[in-house]
Amino acid sequence: MRTPSGNRVYGIGAEYPSAASLYEAAKRVRDAGFKRWDVHSPFPIHGMDDAMGLGKSWLSAAVLIGGCTGLLTAALLTFGPSWFIYPLVVHGKPIDWKTVPAFFPIMFELTVLFSAFTAFFAMLIMNGLPRWYHPIFNWDRFSRATNDGFFLVIEARDPRFTEGEAQQLLEQSGGRHITVVHED
Amino acid sequence: MSERSHVVPTPEGEYFEKSRFAGLSFIAAIVAVVGLIVSIIGAIVWPEQFAYSWLFGFAYFFTLCAGCFFWIIVHHAVDAEWSVVVRRQWENIANLFPLIALFFIPVFLFRHHLYEWMNIPPGEDHLLDSKRAYLNLPFFALRAVFFFVYFSAVAFMFRKISVRQDRDGNPASTLKMRRLAFVALPLFALSLTFGVWDWLAGLNYKWFSTMWGVYIFAGACGSAMSLTVLVMAALRHAGYLKETVTIEHFHIMGKWMLAFTVFWAYIGFSQYMLIWYANIPEETDYFILRNTKSWNLLSLLLVVGRFFLPFALLLLRSTKKDTRALCMVAGWILCMQLLDIYVVVLPELHRTGFHLSILDFFPVLGIGGTLVFFYLRLVGTTSLFPVRDPRVIESLRIVN
Repeated sequence: MRTPSGNRVYGIGAEYPSAASLYEAAKRVRDAGFKRWDVHSPFPIHGMDDAMGLGKSWLSAAVLIGGCTGLLTAALLTFGPSWFIYPLVVHGKPIDWKTVPAFFPIMFELTVLFSAFTAFFAMLIMNGLPRWYHPIFNWDRFSRATNDGFFLVIEARDPRFTEGEAQQLLEQSGGRHITVVHED
Repeated sequence: MSERSHVVPTPEGEYFEKSRFAGLSFIAAIVAVVGLIVSIIGAIVWPEQFAYSWLFGFAYFFTLCAGCFFWIIVHHAVDAEWSVVVRRQWENIANLFPLIALFFIPVFLFRHHLYEWMNIPPGEDHLLDSKRAYLNLPFFALRAVFFFVYFSAVAFMFRKISVRQDRDGNPASTLKMRRLAFVALPLFALSLTFGVWDWLAGLNYKWFSTMWGVYIFAGACGSAMSLTVLVMAALRHAGYLKETVTIEHFHIMGKWMLAFTVFWAYIGFSQYMLIWYANIPEETDYFILRNTKSWNLLSLLLVVGRFFLPFALLLLRSTKKDTRALCMVAGWILCMQLLDIYVVVLPELHRTGFHLSILDFFPVLGIGGTLVFFYLRLVGTTSLFPVRDPRVIESLRIVN
């Protein structure tokens, strides 16, 4: 989709006067059936994930897999050398499953480490980071999103997106300064 | 901001009708009387077994009440929002401390069966003589008095101010309770730590562990939160707090149960591993006794039952968001707390292996029955939640 001047359209955005009105607007956009859209506010808004209809993120599943990988890695790194490669009697402790308390700290730490790394990198992937620039920055007013502005943006790549319908929806939900944002 | 209906509590609050639960009170009284009478007979016939069995029952309920006490002061100290609607029940349970103090009297009377150090005259054991500054009878008694006066008085003050706020709605009461909590918090840490050192770790005067107080604390707080879940679910089942305590509150309580399950395991393992690895005879004695012979089975059951099982279950959001499932886990944790205290106390008597005595059951029943009976009397005297707490609306609408 292009504007009359020939620029590709990223989406259409609106500014809202308060967190509460943004919250109500999000529910309307959700109920209208849009999928590719987002809200921006200077602080987290309780209940917004429900209002947007986001559902459960897959981050926890990724972290669980990461944690289990860490646990297995630690098990391999401790049992492998001390039972099979270099079996040594240290501090009079036996070489059997009863030595396992000595390895618990390593297992614990690697579980935590792998979980944390997975959470961090999965978060980056989910947010499409790192990236240096975003089309929404073409909208001057949007710089207030980190200060006192509440914004809702419907993207043009949403299958349901038409400029007229999106604009009407944002107007009806109380949005101000409704602006078509260029891709480039 | 939630999608739930915006409930505003009536200024009168919700009241528990004692008359509806006269049957329950009666059963509790019967259990208490039978438990206490059999315990008294046991004390005459078999004083040594009685001493340990009673200490086991006493310590179990002491940890539960101390845990509820802890949650009150933490609620005020951190100015928590979600726990406003459950706070009144913590206040009620913590107000049972005068009874706990009363139940300490048999422990004190039978101290010679429990605490070996009291029977050894000075000059016989150098290890003990070097600890005499702390381990002597007058100081032991003085400490016990201080701990019980502290717990009872502070729990009483919290409930009194909180109930007064129900009437006058004065927000200054909240600030007053917060200031009291700041004073109570460090004193709680000291009282619980030294209390369980005296009464539980003191069963073997040679042994010492700096983790001991934290270990009991971790178990106490997790099981007190489990008890809260059960009490809230029971009140809801009886038709109270339907609009007040929501699934969101249960979710938060489930998170705390998970947190304290992990914390208990972390502390328990830290204590075990340092002693196991250092291998110093005066420290290892505690674990040699509990990790050999038939006691080992109970110790292993504790590790699986108090950590691995609830950890796996509570990790799932579906468990924490389902009252029924959460209640089952909470009940299980309370049973495991019972096992934990059992494995702390009873091996010191039956050093040759696990030996279940019939007398082990009756002090638990007697003390538990009495506490339930008095709890049911206490719960009806005020609203079931602090109706005019400044943050009660926020607590009602909590979403996490």
